[in-house]
Amino acid sequence: MLILTAIVGAIAGREFLRMHLPDTLYPGSTLTSARLLSDYHAKLAHTNGNTAVYIFDSHRPGGTLLVLGGTHPNEPAAFITAVVLLEHAVVSTGRMIVIPQASLSGFSCTDPLEGYPQSFTLQTPSGKRSFRFGSRGMNPVDQWPDPLVYLQYPSGQKLSGVETRNLNRSYPGRPDGSLTEQVGYAIMQLLVKEHVDIAFDLHEAAPEIPIINAIIVHEKAKDIGAEAVLNLQLENLEYALELSPSNFHGLSHREWGDRTNVIPVLMETSNPIQGRLRGRTSEELLVNGVDEWYRQAAQLGTVRITYNLDGQPMSQRVARHITGLLAVLSVYNDRFPEKKILLENLPGYEDILTQGVGSFLH
Amino acid sequence: MKSIISFIVLTLILFVSTSSLQAQTPPKFQMPILISSAGQSADVTMAAMLCKKQNLNAKVVAIAKPSDLDGFKTLLLVPGFSSKGLGAAGTSREDEMARTKKLLAAAKEKNIMVLTMHLGGKPRRGQQSDDFNKIAAEAASYLIVVKQGDEDQFFSKLAADNKIPIEVVAKIADVMKPLAAAFK
Repeated sequence: MLILTAIVGAIAGREFLRMHLPDTLYPGSTLTSARLLSDYHAKLAHTNGNTAVYIFDSHRPGGTLLVLGGTHPNEPAAFITAVVLLEHAVVSTGRMIVIPQASLSGFSCTDPLEGYPQSFTLQTPSGKRSFRFGSRGMNPVDQWPDPLVYLQYPSGQKLSGVETRNLNRSYPGRPDGSLTEQVGYAIMQLLVKEHVDIAFDLHEAAPEIPIINAIIVHEKAKDIGAEAVLNLQLENLEYALELSPSNFHGLSHREWGDRTNVIPVLMETSNPIQGRLRGRTSEELLVNGVDEWYRQAAQLGTVRITYNLDGQPMSQRVARHITGLLAVLSVYNDRFPEKKILLENLPGYEDILTQGVGSFLH
Repeated sequence: MKSIISFIVLTLILFVSTSSLQAQTPPKFQMPILISSAGQSADVTMAAMLCKKQNLNAKVVAIAKPSDLDGFKTLLLVPGFSSKGLGAAGTSREDEMARTKKLLAAAKEKNIMVLTMHLGGKPRRGQQSDDFNKIAAEAASYLIVVKQGDEDQFFSKLAADNKIPIEVVAKIADVMKPLAAAFK
């Protein structure tokens, strides 16, 4: 019995530890500098919050773009969109900074009781590549225990205790706070020190969440967002504009905009594996986004959900993020020609749908 | 037999009412335009962008009070509930409803025409939004609605019942044409 327990423990332990192995990413050839978040807040060195920061400089005058993937590691299209930008985009004017795994600690565990897969595989030109699927918050191993009530700093806003590990409730963070607050603080430092002009925080959400397919903007970017949504509609792509609530603190689209010169934008896509109505929770659901229960619910129409009857595949979700990002960036470039940021070599919406997102990864 | 006759009568009523609705031509509106929200969704920003693209003289006051109507000839009301928007405006759903009713009453008193545009589709329908949609639609002289928000004929029925001309368009970008025509 003891031997059997040891064997099961060893197998489970091995699986558990595998989640701490970093994902291998392949930045494009135009990468100019690879840094760590600890370059912006030294206390993060040697912690599981010290994520990679990739800088692409065209050496042609322009603005600076920041793209965050993996703020919530259980929202994989956000992470993979950042990886496509990292591995495929060519910056021809201005600079682009990519943080593919903003909440790095959250990539080393999954949320309890959800039955989530630990990883998923995409077919790429170099073969099958595996990526970690993580949790909404930082790993409790890195930050524990959660308080009963999270008092957001400095607003004093009260949130559920588990939100204390949510990066997108942590801004502006603090240098001596929790790991999550320190990561939030480091990102705020990066925004200022790197003179970031426009920043995207990419997300996904359950199909029943009202902000699905939304482009959420700080009030200083509302005209940019509105024009981008109109332009996307002219291409037959439906996005909704949402304004950042001024009294909901700790979020990127609020605090980045209030406290720095950055124009913050947050985008959401519909991800069935996060939803409460989902059936079998599997890697297939994560990648292909096909769920029978969501299909039935969408057909019944009694619950307002955003779910295509053919599913919400990863390729479509990434395509939406890339197309939305480029649409917002295009309007930004028109309005701030002196701070233009031009990205080239990125696939179009239909290209990603037809060829699959893996085609645009290393 | 009785049910067949009832069906034919109902069909005729529906045909006549639809025909009379289609026959209604939208009134002509005048500028300047005050754009306001009923429910504080971000659609009010979309409405402002649509006006801008059509070079219409419009000003946005999302939480407009009756006194904000002074000097304007058209109230362009954009209904749709948003909890984020209400939070951003620092108001509650109840207070927003009261404000909207006061604004509409003031517009009527000041003979300011109301053009209601529902832009948000399905996300701006349902229990939370429809109270705003209803009062905004019933007070309008003309309704422009994005089709996805009228799949159950909510706005079309209100328009028919209140003899209000309505234009249902496929998507937000298609609003530009009837919007511009209303001010020509």
